[in-house]
Amino acid sequence: MRAEFINPFVAAGIQVLDSVTGAAPQPGQLAVRSATFTTQQVSIVIGVTGSVVGQVVYGLSLVTATKIAAAMSSIPVMTFDDFASSSVAELGNMISGHATTLLADAGYDCQITPPTIIRGANIEICTATPALVVPLHTDFGKIEINVALKEAAAPIQVHTVSPSEADPAADPA
Amino acid sequence: MPNILIVDDALFMRTTLKKVLTDGGCTVVGEAENGQLAVERYQELKPDVVMMDITMPVMDGITALKEIKRIAPEAKVIMCTALGQEKIVMNALQSGAQDYIVKPFKAEKVIEAVRKASSA
Repeated sequence: MRAEFINPFVAAGIQVLDSVTGAAPQPGQLAVRSATFTTQQVSIVIGVTGSVVGQVVYGLSLVTATKIAAAMSSIPVMTFDDFASSSVAELGNMISGHATTLLADAGYDCQITPPTIIRGANIEICTATPALVVPLHTDFGKIEINVALKEAAAPIQVHTVSPSEADPAADPA
Repeated sequence: MPNILIVDDALFMRTTLKKVLTDGGCTVVGEAENGQLAVERYQELKPDVVMMDITMPVMDGITALKEIKRIAPEAKVIMCTALGQEKIVMNALQSGAQDYIVKPFKAEKVIEAVRKASSA
């Protein structure tokens, strides 16, 4: 759990939200969250693999999600329907995609999974590690970026040895 | 005007791209939600240009690009994706993509890329 892993997501979040809504959000205070936490009404979950592994969860209220979907869209969005759900999922995808570019520039090559949208109140999510969380305050409400990432373990190297190498004192006959 | 196949798992992106392309004078002849469907639809529809996302379930966009180029080397595919790492861009272009657009995109960039690809 390192601050250098959340910074790209915050920077990407500001850039992407500015681009798709026309207004740059303001980042709030960094906090730590345990690996199991209760989500907001709408959560976008994206898996990360490669040099860095774990999950990123974007949390927002239903009202904020509907307003952001409307701001992103060229067609009217009045309720949080499939189209609105797809809009905020794509928002999570774009932010995460840009963040992985920034991570790659810092030497961490990684890939992201397609987003999963979770809707509902008081749902518990369990991530691989505790998360660092930064709220982004937009004109439409708050988006929380929960980053639960760690550096991938180095691959285990396996060496095979012959019985005599394993025990030089053993009689091979 | 060019006939376009849009490939993206996000309904939002397929709808947005369709509007951008239609407003730009193109004809969207089909849509696909993943790379496997993209390969099937390409063979059915023979579009002039394919707009291809990368991160998709079932089959990703790079794999679909390679499969389409294997079946139809003349196919024109433009990658339209949130991933902008140099390695991924180079991989796509070396695999035969005509162009590469990073989301969120400007409508003018998409139309310009389609015009360039369809006249190449």
